[in-house]
Parts: sequence; structure tokens; C-alpha cells
Amino acid sequence: MSKTVFRYFFDFLDGQKKWLNSMAEQGYRLKKCGRLTYTFDECNPNEYEYAVEFIGDKSFSKGQDYRRYLESMGFRTFIKNMNLNFSYGKIKWRPYAKGLGQIATSPGGFNKELLILEKKRDGKPFELHTDVHDKLDTYKTARRAYVWAVLLMLGLVVITFVPGISSVSITVTWAIRAVILFFGILLVIPTVKYSSLVNQLKEESKTFE
Amino acid sequence: MTETTFLVLLAAYRPNHGYGIMQFIEKKTNGRVVLGAGTLYGAINALIKKKWIVPFGNEADSRKKEYVITDTGKQKAQEELKRMGEVFELASTIIKGERNK
Repeated sequence: MSKTVFRYFFDFLDGQKKWLNSMAEQGYRLKKCGRLTYTFDECNPNEYEYAVEFIGDKSFSKGQDYRRYLESMGFRTFIKNMNLNFSYGKIKWRPYAKGLGQIATSPGGFNKELLILEKKRDGKPFELHTDVHDKLDTYKTARRAYVWAVLLMLGLVVITFVPGISSVSITVTWAIRAVILFFGILLVIPTVKYSSLVNQLKEESKTFE
Repeated sequence: MTETTFLVLLAAYRPNHGYGIMQFIEKKTNGRVVLGAGTLYGAINALIKKKWIVPFGNEADSRKKEYVITDTGKQKAQEELKRMGEVFELASTIIKGERNK
């Protein structure tokens, strides 16, 4: 029997991974995912294991290449969005990405920032990044995406202070600011978490390669 | 050169695909080094960029893509072996000297 769950993660890497693994522990195997939904099939508890990879910094073709590669390594893959933007026929600038990855189009790489990976639980840890330098790069990339999101929220708050920017009442303006602030804080939490991870890894990379 | 890079280079002395490289490394290090798939992908791409390894054959399907070491790659591997040999010598002298005291 299938089960569909509505969920959105601000902590899109570790938070999402933990949740998917807790579902797998209870005997649910991911069947498909939509922007806000996850559909599961029943399976044996602890049969599968999940990991989440951020590919929003890669161009569409590089992201595809990485996906094909991971499938060749024996993982089942799902594409997942990071943003909640319902659009079609659109071009977006991703300031946190590298090279061609900075331009995301829909249809194309936009709304496909994450890869969810599944493997059978085999007792070995499901770690995609094992080298300190590579881990450092991975978390730096994730942190960069969060920092830009927080900056965007700050920018939005600043805009509301521009005189004559909108015709809504003071109360509504403050309500808007409160909402932006709320989402801003939700984004600050993972930013701080990934920052501390990056700093820990930087220390470690001085001793280990 | 990092250990990951060096091991991937060694695994490519014979044409090998991603999964084969990963297994080679795990087997030859007796499970001490188990590379994550993401780390391996990064290492392979970095080595291709440096032209130390190249795709082998003209397999269009990236699922079966194999890689093989180039002459530059072999030269770099030899330099690394020499460097490691020197470190090994030095470490042996000092550590054994300490033990024999």
C-alpha cells in the first residue's frame, strides 16, 4: 500500500536525510517525490537507506552526468527541488553556483537542486563523501546556498522600509516583515550548523588529507 | 597528491570504470579506504581535467565509461612513489632509532 506525506525541509540535506531514513526504519520505501510530497511503498523495516546530495551548484548537464554516474554505482536516484517555486519557462540566477550552474532554467535544472539516493542497507555507512577535502567542499557549497537565501531574506526586509514602496497599511507591512523574519530564522539555523561543520573540517584538514 | 588521488591513479593502470575503481581500492587497502561515490566522482573528474587519466574507448553510455591512466599520469605516480619512498625512509630511520634506544 502506498502512503503520501506532505513535507518541506529547510534543512534540505541532513534534515531530509534523517527523515527519509526514519521512514525507512519504519518500513517505508520512497516511490516518488513531488515538490511537497513524498510517496512511499511499504517494505521491510530497515531494508533501505537514504542520502541527499546537493547538485544545485552544477549546470544541468553536469547534474545529469552525476546522476547517471551514481546510478552506475548502484544507487536508485530521485530528483528533488530545494525551492518552492512553481514556474515554467523561466530563467533564474543562482549566485551560489559555479560556472554554467549559475543559470538555472525551467524546464532544465531549476527545481532539481537535490538528488535523493537509495541503497539497500548493507551495514556499511552511507557516506558519499569520505575525503576531508571533499567533505569540506560539499558543506561549503551547501553553506553558500543558505547564506544567499538568508541575504535574500534580509534584502526583502530592507525593501519593505523603502518609503512609498507599497500601499498596504503599517500593520500589514509589519506582518510581512514578521513572515520574512520567520523564514529567515528557519534558514539561519542550517546556515549556522553548516558553518560550524565547515570550521571543524577546516581544522581537521590541517592534519589529515 | 592526496591518498584518494593516488589510489584512483593506481586503479586506472588498467582500464576501469567507477565501480571497479572503488572496489579495487577497497580490496587493495583491505577495507582501510572505502571511497564515497561522491568523493570518487570528484577525484575522477579532477584527474581528467589534469589529463592524468582519460576516458577509455568510445563508450557513449556513461554507465559503462572506463578510464585509463595517461603518460603524464604515470609520470606523476612515479614522482609520488619517489616522494613516499623518501618519507618512508625518513620515518623508518627515526621511528626505528627511537625503538632501539
